[in-house]
Amino acid sequence: MAWQKQILRVNLSTGSCDIEPLNMEWAEAYLGSRGLGSKYLYEEMDPATDALSAENKIIFATGPLTGTMASTGGRYTVVTKGALTGAIACSNSGGKFGAELKMAGYDLLIIEGVSAKPVYLHIEDDMVELCDASEIWGKTVWQTEDLLAAKYRDPLMRFAGIGQAGESLCRFACVVNDKHRAAGRSGVGAVMGSKNLKTIAVRGTKGVHAKDPKAFYKIVNDVNARMTDRDEMSRDGTLAMIDVTNGFGSLPTNNNRSVRFEGANKLNPEAMHSPNENGHTNIVTNGACFACTIGCGRICKIDPKHFSVKDRPEYHGASGGLEYETAYALGSACGVDDIDAATFAGFLCNEYGMDPISLGGTIAAAMELYDIGAIDDSITGGIKLEFGSAEALCQIAELTGKGEGFGADIAMGSKRLCEKYGHPDLSMTVKGQEFAAYDGRSMQGMGLAYATSNRGACHLRADPYGHDFETTEIEGKAKIVAESQRDVAFLDSSGLCLFPGGCGWGLEDYRTLVDAACESDWNEARMLETGERIWVLEKLFNLKAGLGKKDDTLPKRILEEPADVGTGKGLVCRLDEMLPEYYQLNGWDAEGVPTAATLKRLNLN
Amino acid sequence: MDISVTLFGGLRHFLPAGSSFNKCTIKLDDGGHLDELLELLPIPARKKYIVIINDEKVSREAYADITVHSDDEIVLLPPIKGG
Ligand code: SF4
Repeated sequence: MAWQKQILRVNLSTGSCDIEPLNMEWAEAYLGSRGLGSKYLYEEMDPATDALSAENKIIFATGPLTGTMASTGGRYTVVTKGALTGAIACSNSGGKFGAELKMAGYDLLIIEGVSAKPVYLHIEDDMVELCDASEIWGKTVWQTEDLLAAKYRDPLMRFAGIGQAGESLCRFACVVNDKHRAAGRSGVGAVMGSKNLKTIAVRGTKGVHAKDPKAFYKIVNDVNARMTDRDEMSRDGTLAMIDVTNGFGSLPTNNNRSVRFEGANKLNPEAMHSPNENGHTNIVTNGACFACTIGCGRICKIDPKHFSVKDRPEYHGASGGLEYETAYALGSACGVDDIDAATFAGFLCNEYGMDPISLGGTIAAAMELYDIGAIDDSITGGIKLEFGSAEALCQIAELTGKGEGFGADIAMGSKRLCEKYGHPDLSMTVKGQEFAAYDGRSMQGMGLAYATSNRGACHLRADPYGHDFETTEIEGKAKIVAESQRDVAFLDSSGLCLFPGGCGWGLEDYRTLVDAACESDWNEARMLETGERIWVLEKLFNLKAGLGKKDDTLPKRILEEPADVGTGKGLVCRLDEMLPEYYQLNGWDAEGVPTAATLKRLNLN
Repeated sequence: MDISVTLFGGLRHFLPAGSSFNKCTIKLDDGGHLDELLELLPIPARKKYIVIINDEKVSREAYADITVHSDDEIVLLPPIKGG
């Protein structure tokens, strides 16, 4: 089985909560999580709908392997139309919430309509109720979880919800579960806020069943034995990447003015593991999501003597610390080399429910606007928004979470901010979404991956890493990006995490697990076709939403200003040379529209 | 001559004893080549990496032809995936 074969549909306008059978025909064609959630959204909603309107739906989708014993089988995806991008949003998260939702008996939770007043959703297996949220509205994610945990007194109850950023419709608000895991990107938290839905509290006791438990158990163990390279990931987490990109010259710095950050060694694993002058060490331990045998999470503490938390003991405890992406966004992107300040800004993101990548990317753009004089102290409220200022980073992060002062401008995201102040070219975004931690000039494949990502700039929609670190020549990159986008779409739809792919697993290991857990034959050809079908379906959603070839592009800086240092020194991203080949390899026309033959081949007519 | 080599990411765990966090100094004969230098590093053969000298990526085929100089900035990067 692996699928629970039922979905929960909650209509916030009418207050109805209905259990329905899962459309198994769609599950067989789109697997689960990202793919299946996208299929439901595409079929049930007009993609041209405004993201913050009652007509938008928000879907919490688990995969067939979510809640199983397969390593990393705790993932779920939030699928909706993104408030930041206007494109399809598929935000993946770990922690324990997804597995709990699945164990309550649901493959998908579909939320529609808008509630007249703030509510939260309480699920205990078949018992589902909408509850008044007046006591938790206006509270942080952490306070909300603590209050409801005290109310229900069930240590296994899991929560996924928004903080004040989602309530105030911050364009990059995220959905945070388990206090520091997040469906981070594209503004899915703003959609939840627009519906007056504060949080989802879930407890499930039904378990998840593989089609042949004995065979599945054996395959889980066999595949785990092939995860031979996980020690480094447990020890350093994704943060290990910062030395690699900095050495290579692809670490975006000061809003992509540079690709190398002098202060990287103050944010890297060494800095995280070493005591500072006060004898304080940033990292406490590593952390793992449900069923994960890697544990890449960083659990960290801010130095209590640091200016950001000196008189604020509520921030002296351990919580989710810097991963590579947050170290970039709240570090090098803003020129900040203060690990405690970046950790504090990361805590604020989890507390108020903001995507740290977009927050950092937007603050970096604001710092450049400030640097060129497009904004000044009268606009920032007196904050000296200079590159490298840890104080400014912390102040602005908190104001943004609260939606106060200049933080309300930051909450628009980099694209809208730079347009407002007359410099749209300074926004390092694709489809309105801020760059992740790689520069598309020294990593040409990543440039193409950003430009063509269906959810806007993203480092997790393709896998060009190996080839990009091998060569800056563009030959072969279109193929690698096109094929890996399909592979990743399949993996994201399984309910597993992408990171085992960097710890020894290959695509075949994921396929073997899906095949062992799910009914019917999941062979290689079917896996590849499913991944491609999901990718093209997302593309179709975006086309109907009004996005097209004009949106498959990069900021002028990446296309016209050569990289300043590193292996890509002197290069710009050669996107215009790669894009036609990429479209062609996908079976799309010159405008990036899938041809009739491609749609027919994928049963997408 | 003494050559300074920086090992990034997980490669740093294969540094010779007594190295700093991610840097080591290797003794190489004057006029020595890159392949000889790499052989002196205790990195297991199964570990893949790329070599960058003075910000230029070096192709594997060229390792034996490249003469190393004492002021070269040599960096080894593991081909890790993103997160
Ligand atoms: S590898 Fe990291 S992100 Fe992935 S499931 Fe494990 S702990 Fe979570």
